[in-house]
Amino acid sequence: MKRQSLFLLCAGIGAGAVTLALSRRQPAPPANRIPARRDLSNTPQHSSGTVRAARRLNRAAGLLATSVLADSGVEHYRGSFKNRAMFTPLIVSGATLAISAHGTADMRPAAHRVRDVTYALAAVTGLVGTGFHFYNVGRKLGGFSWQNLFYGAPLGAPMAILLSGLIGFSSERLRESQPDEQQGPEIFDLPAGRMLAAVISVGLLGTTAEAALLHFRGAYHNPAMYLPVTLPPIGALLMAQVCVGTRTRHVAARNWMWLLVAMGFAGSGFHAYGISRNMGGFANWSQNILAGPPLPAPPSFSGLALAGLACIDLVREHPDA
Amino acid sequence: MAFDDPLDRPRAAGGRAPDVFRRGGWVPMREYRDSEPVDFVIVGTGAGAGTLACRLAEQGFSVVALDAGAYFRPLEDFASDESEQTKLYWTDDRIVDGDNPLQMGSNNSGKAVGGSTVHFAMVSLRFRPEWFKSRTLLGYGADWPIDWREMWHYYAEVEDALKISGPVTYPWGTKRPRYPYRAHPLNAAARVLAKGCEAMGISWTETPLATLSAPRGLAHPCVYRGFCVTGCSTNAKQSVLVTWLPRALASGAEVRDLAMVGRIDTGSDGLATGVHYHRAGQWRFQRARNVVVAGYAIETPRLLLNSANDQFPDGIANSSGLVGKNLMVQSNQAVWGTMEDEVRSYKGPPSLAITEHWNYDDDKDFFGGYAYMSQGPLPQLWANTQLGAHGLWGEQLMTAMKDYNHVAGLKIVGETMPQERNCVTLADEVDQYGLRIPRITFSLCDNDKKLIDHSLSFMGQALSAAGARNIWAQEDDTCHLNGTARMGDDPRRSVVDADCRSWDIPNLWICDGSVFPTVGGVNPSLTIQAIACRTADRIHQMARRGELERLPAARPRRVLTPSA
Repeated sequence: MKRQSLFLLCAGIGAGAVTLALSRRQPAPPANRIPARRDLSNTPQHSSGTVRAARRLNRAAGLLATSVLADSGVEHYRGSFKNRAMFTPLIVSGATLAISAHGTADMRPAAHRVRDVTYALAAVTGLVGTGFHFYNVGRKLGGFSWQNLFYGAPLGAPMAILLSGLIGFSSERLRESQPDEQQGPEIFDLPAGRMLAAVISVGLLGTTAEAALLHFRGAYHNPAMYLPVTLPPIGALLMAQVCVGTRTRHVAARNWMWLLVAMGFAGSGFHAYGISRNMGGFANWSQNILAGPPLPAPPSFSGLALAGLACIDLVREHPDA
Repeated sequence: MAFDDPLDRPRAAGGRAPDVFRRGGWVPMREYRDSEPVDFVIVGTGAGAGTLACRLAEQGFSVVALDAGAYFRPLEDFASDESEQTKLYWTDDRIVDGDNPLQMGSNNSGKAVGGSTVHFAMVSLRFRPEWFKSRTLLGYGADWPIDWREMWHYYAEVEDALKISGPVTYPWGTKRPRYPYRAHPLNAAARVLAKGCEAMGISWTETPLATLSAPRGLAHPCVYRGFCVTGCSTNAKQSVLVTWLPRALASGAEVRDLAMVGRIDTGSDGLATGVHYHRAGQWRFQRARNVVVAGYAIETPRLLLNSANDQFPDGIANSSGLVGKNLMVQSNQAVWGTMEDEVRSYKGPPSLAITEHWNYDDDKDFFGGYAYMSQGPLPQLWANTQLGAHGLWGEQLMTAMKDYNHVAGLKIVGETMPQERNCVTLADEVDQYGLRIPRITFSLCDNDKKLIDHSLSFMGQALSAAGARNIWAQEDDTCHLNGTARMGDDPRRSVVDADCRSWDIPNLWICDGSVFPTVGGVNPSLTIQAIACRTADRIHQMARRGELERLPAARPRRVLTPSA
């Protein structure tokens, strides 16, 4: 009974997400909008900054997708792909990475249908994956005990592909929005920059929670393990300020995001060191990469921070955004 | 290069000792001359001795620790082979008798630098606070002369020194600090225990283990190889060999391997003067200002009794007549069953899950308590178990072994009562060193049998509730040895005081499981190490106050430079 209800919950989250995504595909065109948004001849007047911000968001989404592709690849291989659904994040994050590369190179100020669909799919995958991971932990003996939180499927991990999808999807909305003199670019009728700032702020906190749990499992045996649970929450606070604040320069937030970009990549270095401390080190890489700390996980922070930088640029150029 | 056999020639010599963390590596070691009276000569290097050697050396005392066993290099010397690893057990000649003669060796004694912690199951549990006053509070056994709150402090010190991996919160007893490292993932055998406990409505948790769940210095985290009780080859196991002894060496202590102590000498003033030991083919004498005996509950009384002289004809430190008396084992009975799904219980440390329910619940018809844990017998041990319990051999044994991957078991560590008739005495036969061998007499009392019956009945129900079939009880096993030189408040009724100091000979100390007045229902290693830490602190305080024989007050701290 417990299993069934958990499975229903997971299916419910997935179905809800799909419905939401589909409904977003047919927004009621506002009166002041030009409906033929993919008609290049009808291209709205964009500031080049908006497209640049959108491309940066594509790049950030791509980095997050790369992290997910490698991380879920390693971890699901470790789980022997016991359930066929475990291939899903690999396929989806692979596709997200490809279209993010495409988006990063794409200078056109219009959304792209394939990118749109893929990003939406990534977001849905994140939600469904989270449901699956909750199901996996909840059905174990002891339920949501520390033992199962530590060693069951990581609850927060699928959120990274959700964030990648959200950021990518936002990028597409940004490209197709038509800022006029009164207002800056918008996403879902909300100021684009501020909405993104909120998403990134929450994303940073979620990713911090994941790192906090798994580093607690490792008993914070190395002081450096405190970095990803202390620096990102400050970043989240700064992004929250970007979201609600009145100032536009956001020098501190900008510098902090660069710090987080660096921290994310440095994290992989630390994790490589962690792997080397297992019996046999890298000479026994085929076992130790699976046994040691996840090599590809920390750059999720870099991906989010890059998105933060794009978002800050957007707010700087369009103070109302 | 000649083959380097640790059992053939001493390794700790020439100003260096094996570096247990680096293949072929060495660490510098300070050496003392036999004629040079060291502050402390310590007999043994196990849980009591190694811990004390480290703490005393770190306080600046000159320390020499002698061990009859070899100085193994875990990364190189330990094979994934049960037969080969019997080299870690103390299998010298001994005579066992009584109603329930003990099986000596793998389960209760080690012969190696690091003592039996080199092959212990790493289960690191605290006593229930009431056990330190079990006579007064629970009506059986004897009171300890130490308060549990003081022990709580030293338990925490040892848990941190060994980076014990344990549950985030412990379900039983007084609050304890969080374990330094997190618990290991449970294997299928541990989940069988958990399932049984949930069905029986009692608590269970991950066992606090002295094996790393995250890296520590040069020691690798556990790889779940499963050969823990035959010697860990990754150094994840936090044995004395890889924890206290490297610290001791770095602080200027000397460790002498393959050095069997045969006799303690006393002077005309009644104080100990040093120890006779056999090393590299000859008997030698190390002079010392203080002698610490820590050879565990058989070898400790044996050495004290073998050291009898004109002044102490019944053995030294034995005016109470209690040296060798009150030997306590722990009952180690099990129930086994077959599960539908594969269990492969040998994966990972053998006792990943535990319930201490019957240590903390007093609603039972016997004194004392027991814990029970999940099991992971290696194949040879399992074949032996089948042979011993069911007399299986040949085709029948082969058939039984085919179920090996499906077997799950629950095994107790149960308290036995102190009885003077259970004792270590000297036999007339001599061993390879020419020393009289111990006679070990052991019989269970009615209370011990009641406890065992209770545990077998309860575990049988739990295993059945977890879904096991073909359940049977293994009724004959014991483990751990304690209590042959008990501590107490009264010189007539104990061998040492709370500081592990002999009542009779003030510069003689006993610091191992022998001093336990009661054993409790938990594995003793953590308590032995906690007592050693306490003893070290007490020695430090007494030395500063000038209360130690032959040690000047307030000794200056030496500069720690190993001599070449």
